Amino acid sequence: MSDNKFWQSFAELHDKERVQKTAQNEFQEDLPFGELDGKGVLDAKTPRRDFLKYLGFSTAAATLAASCKTPVRKAIPFVNRPENTVPGVAKYYASTYVQDGDALPVVVKVRDGRPIKIEGNELCSFTKGGTSARAQASVLDLYDTFRLPHPKRRSGNAFQEIPTFEQLDSQVSQALAGLGGAPLVLLTGTVNSPSTRQLITEFLAKYPGSRHVQYDADSYSGLIAANGGRIPAYQFDRAKVIVSLGADFLGTWLAPVEFAYQYAMGRKIDERAPSMSKHYQFESFLSMTGASADERFTHRPSETGKVAAALYSALGGGGGTAVQLDADLAKGIQKVASDLKKVQGAGLVVCGSNDPNVQAIVQAINGLIGANGTTINTGVTLNYRQGNDADMVNLVSQMNAGQIGALLIYGANPAYDYFDAARFKAGMQKVKLTVSFNEKLDETAELCQYLVPSHHYLESWGDAEPRSGYYSFIQPTIFPLFKTRQFQTTLLKWSGNNTDYETYFRTFWMGRLGGQQGLDKALRDGVSEVAGIGTSPTQPATTTSINISDALLKMPAAPKRTGAEVVLYQSVAIGTGKQAGNPWLLELPDPVTRASWDNYAMISMKKADELGIDYKDSDFEYYPDKPVIEITANGITRKLPVMVVPGMNADTIAIAVGYGRSPKFSKAASEVGQNVYQFAKWNGATVDQFNDVTTSAKSVDTHKIAQMQIHNSYEGRTEVVKETTMATFLKTPDQYKQWRQDLHKTYAPKTGDYREEGTLYGDPHKKPGLKWGMSIDLNSCTGCHACVVACHAENNVPVVGKNEVLRYHDMHWLRIDRYFVSEPSNPDQLKTVVFQPMLCQHCDNAPCENVCPVAATMHSAEGINQMAYNRCIGTRYCANNCPYKVRRFNWGDYTGASTHGRLGPESGVGVLNEVVHQMNDELTRMVLNPDVVTRSRGVMEKCSFCVQRTQEKKLEAKKENRMLGGDEVQTACSQACPTKAITFGNANDNNSTVSQIRKNNQQRLFYVLEQIHTLPNVSYLAKIRNTEELIASKNTGSGAESEHARETQHEPAKTH
Amino acid sequence: MALLKYESQVRAPLVEGNKDYHQVTEDICRPVEASPSKLWWIGFLVSFALLVFGIWSVTREVIYGTGQWNLNKTVGWGWDITNFVWWVGIGHAGTLISAILLLFRQGWRTGVNRAAEAMTIFAVMCAGQFPIWHMGRVWNAFFTLPYPNTRGPLWVNFNSPLLWDVFAISTYFTVSLLFWYSGLLPDLATLRDRAREKWRKMFYGITAFGWTGSTKHWQRHEALSLVLAGLSTPLVLSVHTIVSFDFATSVIPGWHTTIFPPYFVAGAIFSGFAMVQTLLLVTRKVLGLEEYITIEHIEVMNKVIILTGSIVGIAYLTELFMAWYSHVEYEWFAFKENRANLSSPYGWSYWLMMGCNVVSPQIFWFKKMRRSIIVTFFMSILVNIGMWFERFVIIVTSLYRDYLPSSWSTYYSPTIWEVGFYMGTFGLFFTCYFLFAKFFPVIAIAEIKHILKKSGENYKQKMDVVEREPVEEFAHAVAH
Repeated sequence: MSDNKFWQSFAELHDKERVQKTAQNEFQEDLPFGELDGKGVLDAKTPRRDFLKYLGFSTAAATLAASCKTPVRKAIPFVNRPENTVPGVAKYYASTYVQDGDALPVVVKVRDGRPIKIEGNELCSFTKGGTSARAQASVLDLYDTFRLPHPKRRSGNAFQEIPTFEQLDSQVSQALAGLGGAPLVLLTGTVNSPSTRQLITEFLAKYPGSRHVQYDADSYSGLIAANGGRIPAYQFDRAKVIVSLGADFLGTWLAPVEFAYQYAMGRKIDERAPSMSKHYQFESFLSMTGASADERFTHRPSETGKVAAALYSALGGGGGTAVQLDADLAKGIQKVASDLKKVQGAGLVVCGSNDPNVQAIVQAINGLIGANGTTINTGVTLNYRQGNDADMVNLVSQMNAGQIGALLIYGANPAYDYFDAARFKAGMQKVKLTVSFNEKLDETAELCQYLVPSHHYLESWGDAEPRSGYYSFIQPTIFPLFKTRQFQTTLLKWSGNNTDYETYFRTFWMGRLGGQQGLDKALRDGVSEVAGIGTSPTQPATTTSINISDALLKMPAAPKRTGAEVVLYQSVAIGTGKQAGNPWLLELPDPVTRASWDNYAMISMKKADELGIDYKDSDFEYYPDKPVIEITANGITRKLPVMVVPGMNADTIAIAVGYGRSPKFSKAASEVGQNVYQFAKWNGATVDQFNDVTTSAKSVDTHKIAQMQIHNSYEGRTEVVKETTMATFLKTPDQYKQWRQDLHKTYAPKTGDYREEGTLYGDPHKKPGLKWGMSIDLNSCTGCHACVVACHAENNVPVVGKNEVLRYHDMHWLRIDRYFVSEPSNPDQLKTVVFQPMLCQHCDNAPCENVCPVAATMHSAEGINQMAYNRCIGTRYCANNCPYKVRRFNWGDYTGASTHGRLGPESGVGVLNEVVHQMNDELTRMVLNPDVVTRSRGVMEKCSFCVQRTQEKKLEAKKENRMLGGDEVQTACSQACPTKAITFGNANDNNSTVSQIRKNNQQRLFYVLEQIHTLPNVSYLAKIRNTEELIASKNTGSGAESEHARETQHEPAKTH
Repeated sequence: MALLKYESQVRAPLVEGNKDYHQVTEDICRPVEASPSKLWWIGFLVSFALLVFGIWSVTREVIYGTGQWNLNKTVGWGWDITNFVWWVGIGHAGTLISAILLLFRQGWRTGVNRAAEAMTIFAVMCAGQFPIWHMGRVWNAFFTLPYPNTRGPLWVNFNSPLLWDVFAISTYFTVSLLFWYSGLLPDLATLRDRAREKWRKMFYGITAFGWTGSTKHWQRHEALSLVLAGLSTPLVLSVHTIVSFDFATSVIPGWHTTIFPPYFVAGAIFSGFAMVQTLLLVTRKVLGLEEYITIEHIEVMNKVIILTGSIVGIAYLTELFMAWYSHVEYEWFAFKENRANLSSPYGWSYWLMMGCNVVSPQIFWFKKMRRSIIVTFFMSILVNIGMWFERFVIIVTSLYRDYLPSSWSTYYSPTIWEVGFYMGTFGLFFTCYFLFAKFFPVIAIAEIKHILKKSGENYKQKMDVVEREPVEEFAHAVAH
């Protein structure tokens, strides 16, 4: 074995030594340790470890330099799971939205400790879960960056923080002690909280001579006075004839959510026996309520009383002198009177006037037509507004006379919204102690010595009694965000009661509701009613101290022919202006003018002609620059842009209040509009929201108005909008059904199955199981825009600001298209206004889906047209090809979701308004719904049918191992709708409301643009206005021709 | 002359000035080899400045979003896609000239094909910028490519005309580039062989790919030319057909039209030839190539312009007629109100388009006009303006008032950055063209030599001498 000689090469065989030597020196070259100088590796200039360091550093540096800065979002998980909380699962708490005197029972959705969405409380018997735009938006006010973070006191011209509430209490107590007998006045908005009212009484008792003054910016003093000190409950649902004299009861008058629900009950049509209530509107400008009216008559704002008087006498009421009115108006009044007589006991007249005399006449009219006890429930009092104008005027004079020692202000802002704000401000200087409890630094708080911000309602305990006997409760849904203290607790402290308001509240209600259990139930339900209330009117009809003949005599008899008049109204979004800092509301378009981010003077076409405004020019429509006129009333001049609106009284200028706020109140709201509250006038008893004005002879400037829709007519496109009159509907009830049948026959001659045969490719969606569908009843939609804000909140829709809206970059997923329908010959002769909620139609044969090059938008098995934002590259082809134009593109970075961009450039094209930055504040972003991703710029977005909600409910059903109910899922819009015009559900489920509506309303059912075979999943029900007018329909033939069937005689003229 | 009396005078020579082969080489290589003129520098720098402005405009758009443009919720495409279609259209003439005319054996094409092909390539490069940068998230542009991926795998949507564009344009660009470059090879070799400076030798040496002019090379070159011509020919028709599908397959009134494919192709050739005219009229003047790009060329191209212009005109009228005849209310509205109505916001653009594309080319029925350089130049500009407006009219006037009147009339006018982007593509186009004119022969040297009649002319001259010689001497000379 050892003899064997193994060898690898000849060289090795022959010269083994040398080979072995070379093998040892295999690496002949020196290793690159030239710089070592024999000192050892670690001492070298660039030792190996340093090399690694350099390598590491340079790699890291290069990585840092090359990569974009991705903001670090800190998320701290719970160490211990809070009791009764599952992270990621929402909790709902019943509460009550309170603002001014409005009180709306709501349910607050709380995700991980943050209230993020307001829903209506379905247990409430009078709203049935309806909400308003302002209630929906109120959750954003909680996260308002302009809220006062802590108590402050005035020091010179600035405010100084008071570190603790103890210090505040002792300072205020000293000040109160040093009043020297001068009376203390608590000035608030309407307080309809029973516990707070009791607490106020107790507080006032501690300070002899003190009193409580309630003041409302939108005063109902006249109505209250005329009804003997209380407002009876109106029952629009019981009324067959509704007459409104300037009351915007669907939008802003008194209790619009409640009224809209009742109103819609009478407007829904059962096609087996078609009937609906008849709504007459007398008004001076085109309000949202007027837009829904069957017949409208216009008059000067100052003539409301005359109209009431004329109606009174037409109904057979005696007394007063005969009033002269325009022929049209007089004719209208006769017609209304005869209609009211016909339906004896089922008529209702409401009036928006604040004049006690006018309201007294209206009360008398309601007496004549037998409304009391039927359409007016005298057993229930509406407590929404209780302010008294005379008290306020009295207070202001006392203040100016130096007779007031202390003024504590809560929920009122007279320095902004009082008709004589200058006088109020002057009076403030003469009051020794002024304290504001308002949540924000508003115009009045700015003048106060002490600022003791109260909680937002979502942080508060509380209650409300919107209707007597109907209670609604408030419970905190989040720990107070700032160092604030609830107004009631402060009052308790200052009255020497050391319990906090929560304890007070619990004690108060436990007594009334039967102990802890009763209170728990009340808090869980959010509402509680006194048993049996509202079923039968127990109280006698409201009485008035005003003599009807005196009232009639006060109505001007002679017609006024000259001079313009201004009427102040509240817009649906901004209202009195208390929530005017709310970006969602500021961006909300007005239902009638479709303008956002401004107030403006609504003028008639005649007035526009007088002012030399060429509103008929197409440029007037296309360009946002609107002429500005000077308007002077009460010696105050405001420059306001004009909007020319059809259906206005010729001499009326209507301006929305609530705009033109102080920059300290809100940066976003300060840039928009003008405050016109000071145009109102004192009539000796109450404040009138109208006045005589003079205007500049022509426009003095231009101002851009951000409208979201600029074309006003639907151009006779009956495939888009179907609306007709009751008479026509009764005569040809199958008109729309016939049209659809003809269409199907034309395009599916063999089978009649339009879905299958209408295309070469067959029915694109034949899936069983869930199929989401929506039905929208154009007859019940009043245009209130609650759904739009609900969608905004639910889906994290960005606010883009005025600059971007001006460039038509608004992002609303759901919009309410508004079309004016007028006489072809005279566009000013408005016949009706159609509100059409328009959102993604979730077409089964969607034009957007097949054009996306990257398949970022596609159809789900449940019929939803989906967007995969991460996949979207932003070619906008889908939006171009969408016949409904509902797709919205992120033109800039509105949400901070993009890692590549920033929130708009500093200058040049595309500068974003301050509000976009405000919406991206850490605090404001707390309102975002964590279930919905924010979209980065360059991405297309649109209505998703609230897919997060369908998924949530599906999971719930799955966990419980049951079928999902057809109506179980509600989208944000359908849930918010006060009139139930929008319904959502599983269209494949025969028992779901959507299927039922579609099945039972074949005569009014239509799909928008059905003829292009997009197969939408949103169906509409045609709008019917209750008039006797017969609209002749030509071309009822069958076949291809009828596809173009046109109600030619009905084509509205193009209005501007 | 007795021997020549049977010479048939078929047509005038395509190259004037009685050139011989060497002269041709000299004439065409001169601008390449000489140092650039002042005029060239001015032109180049202006173009480059425009390019830089364009890059800045696009940068701003990429940083801040598509909101840098005035597009809106109703008008999702405006200048971006208008410019895209316009540039693609311009990119049609080159391939048509080189491929289709090659197959039809049109000798005159040799004078203009090189420049036209270059123009095609640059125009397609410019066109490509728009669909890329108009994306909201351009960094994800690669999503449009169907490649195996880890996202599912997630594929592109083969139903989308926009995806077809991706394929059509990239194929067209690749084939055009190959065609152009393979044609350049012999000329690059010529330049290499003539080069004196080292860098020139290097540059042309590398770019000539070792062309030696051997018979084998020529044989393969010819074969390749035919193959590429065969490939390009359907592309000329398909590219703009597919671009037109972006609109034709949609549901938007004014877009949803079956006439679009032929109408777009005709329009593309129309605008392509107009652009060729614009460029060549300048090039021949500046580079002194009037004898190669003759008035004959100009006339022949003007004939193409009037032909395609008239096709386009008929298409416009057909479209209008069909909109009325079909009784589709929405389409009729798009044509009657959005376009034909002069007092509508964009009515002017429709009539500008009609004037430029349909009315003005009719001037070329007159021979004198066809042969006038001034008129041709003016007309070529007019046609290009008209064709730009054609795309603008199709895109914007269809979109801004479509089905739902609530979404109507959102007025669209471009921002400085939208204009800047367009200007930038002009910068890119002309920067490329100036570089091309400086470094490459603008006329195909090898190809134009095919059509020289030089040998025939020489022979004729020789015949003169021969005829004058006594027969015996001639016979003697021939014998020896």
